Amino acid sequence: MRNVGIISVGYNGRFVSKRPDINMPELVQEAVENALKNTRLKLQDIDAFVEGNMPTFEGVNYPHLWFSDHLGAVNKPVLRISTGGTTGMSAFHGAYYCVASGLYDTVMVVGWEKHDEGDAQVGLAGIVFPEIFTLFSFGPSMAGPGAGGVTGGGSTGGASFQATSYLAGCGGDVAHIDMIAAQARSNAALNPYAHLQHPGCTPEDIAKTPMVSWPLRFGHTCPTSCGACAMILTTEEKAKRFADSVAWVTAVAVGATDATTANLLDGQLNDPAEQPMCRKMARKAYEMAGIRDPQKEIQVAEVYDGFAFQELMWSERLGLIPEGTGPERVEKGALAIDGDMPINPSGGVVSTNAIGASALVRVAEAALQIMGTAQGGHQVPRKVHNALAHGWGGLFQFVTITLLGDRPRHR
Amino acid sequence: MTQERAENETRVVHDAWDLGLYRWKVEADGLKILVDGLREGRIVGRKCGRCGTVYVPAVSYCRKCFIDIEERIDLATTGKIRTFTVNLADVRGNELEEPQVIGCFQLDGADTWLMGVLVIDDWKKVRVGMRVRARLRAEPKGELADIEYWEPLPES
Repeated sequence: MRNVGIISVGYNGRFVSKRPDINMPELVQEAVENALKNTRLKLQDIDAFVEGNMPTFEGVNYPHLWFSDHLGAVNKPVLRISTGGTTGMSAFHGAYYCVASGLYDTVMVVGWEKHDEGDAQVGLAGIVFPEIFTLFSFGPSMAGPGAGGVTGGGSTGGASFQATSYLAGCGGDVAHIDMIAAQARSNAALNPYAHLQHPGCTPEDIAKTPMVSWPLRFGHTCPTSCGACAMILTTEEKAKRFADSVAWVTAVAVGATDATTANLLDGQLNDPAEQPMCRKMARKAYEMAGIRDPQKEIQVAEVYDGFAFQELMWSERLGLIPEGTGPERVEKGALAIDGDMPINPSGGVVSTNAIGASALVRVAEAALQIMGTAQGGHQVPRKVHNALAHGWGGLFQFVTITLLGDRPRHR
Repeated sequence: MTQERAENETRVVHDAWDLGLYRWKVEADGLKILVDGLREGRIVGRKCGRCGTVYVPAVSYCRKCFIDIEERIDLATTGKIRTFTVNLADVRGNELEEPQVIGCFQLDGADTWLMGVLVIDDWKKVRVGMRVRARLRAEPKGELADIEYWEPLPES
């Protein structure tokens, strides 16, 4: 398998709530243009494209049919990959396979979402409509004390269940989620592309936001953002020719377990906070990259935190910090940009969430850290030799992991 | 950073998908077994003969062994809370007048979780691991609402 390097990261611009002036193809095009600007590549040097978003949010089913020309992909191969929340990283893995396999030399991958053209609640509900309608046909409680019980009573339900179980398992409490959320939003203020930027955000600021679905507050929850991220991957030889800095892909791993939202049709077996596949696939990724002690050898990680507590949970499940130590680490500031194990210096998904882009942005941010080019003050102070990027998606069941290094992996 | 184009170059087009057009097929025999059992005041699931995993609602094949399973099993109405949340505000942030505790409960003897409402005097008392009981309707109709709600078991 060939070594694959990331030679460019391009955002369309700062992620924002609305872009009323452009449509989806134009959003994608902005990111493609910006990714090309950082290299000596021309559009014709791109051999193939991989693209993804989560179409339930805009209600346009095969959007790439609409914008292959805006991608710059006319007369070129285009592979569309859409896997829910993990879309961005699944698409990245697809682009990686394209180059690592030897089939293509230089591939561009784009992840994006234009939330202002749809409704996020409807988009999320659309995932479970068949289930909900089935449950309705079996006469669930619609009135009285039990009303709404079998449908979770509200939309943040799934993540709340995961959060409660996580806190019970590690002995943390809501205050720890306030702390990590405050860290995320202040980190975002050091990232010119992040959506929700709150310089100097404190846990008290977060604690002022309403408690929606205990233990999750408004301030613990991601926004819906419009934005696109494009990256270019290529071979060792072309990396030297076309770019000045490279982040090398040293491992990719994917895992799936059963849906864990206690839906009555499927008989949930697993605790959503346990995530056994994340543990297993992280170990597999470390092995592939030749990393024996991730807590020492990884200098920064970008994990998918749609909800702030997930930074703590995923850090443990990925083996970046010992199991159960999330609360204590955030208390000590160990996860901050200048901490022992910086997590989400970009501000993470809880500050910026264009769903189809978010898992790709984790790789992009990890790459910027390796290259030393993260702007605005969120570059970690230590030299980054290894970085981890993580995504999750579906009904808390899919996990994707990518490891990047400052040198190509040699077997 | 963001290249704004002239607003008059962009039009807004409205549309919608009619979900009523779709006829999804859904496997629901586990729910049927559950509601039929509830009509008789019983909670019924299925057990895998090979690995012993107990599913409620029942499933038609074991998720671990990937074999068809038939054997039915009665579950107790008691169990424990595995996780929960408390609805305190709606999605726009407006505080709810009456907080509602939604829990995932694991019945004694079952390996799967059931979602439902926990009725308790003070939501702040709820803990993962708390012992609970499913409160069944005195006059069941053979529907999910025959599980009226869940309640904490008295401390023993």
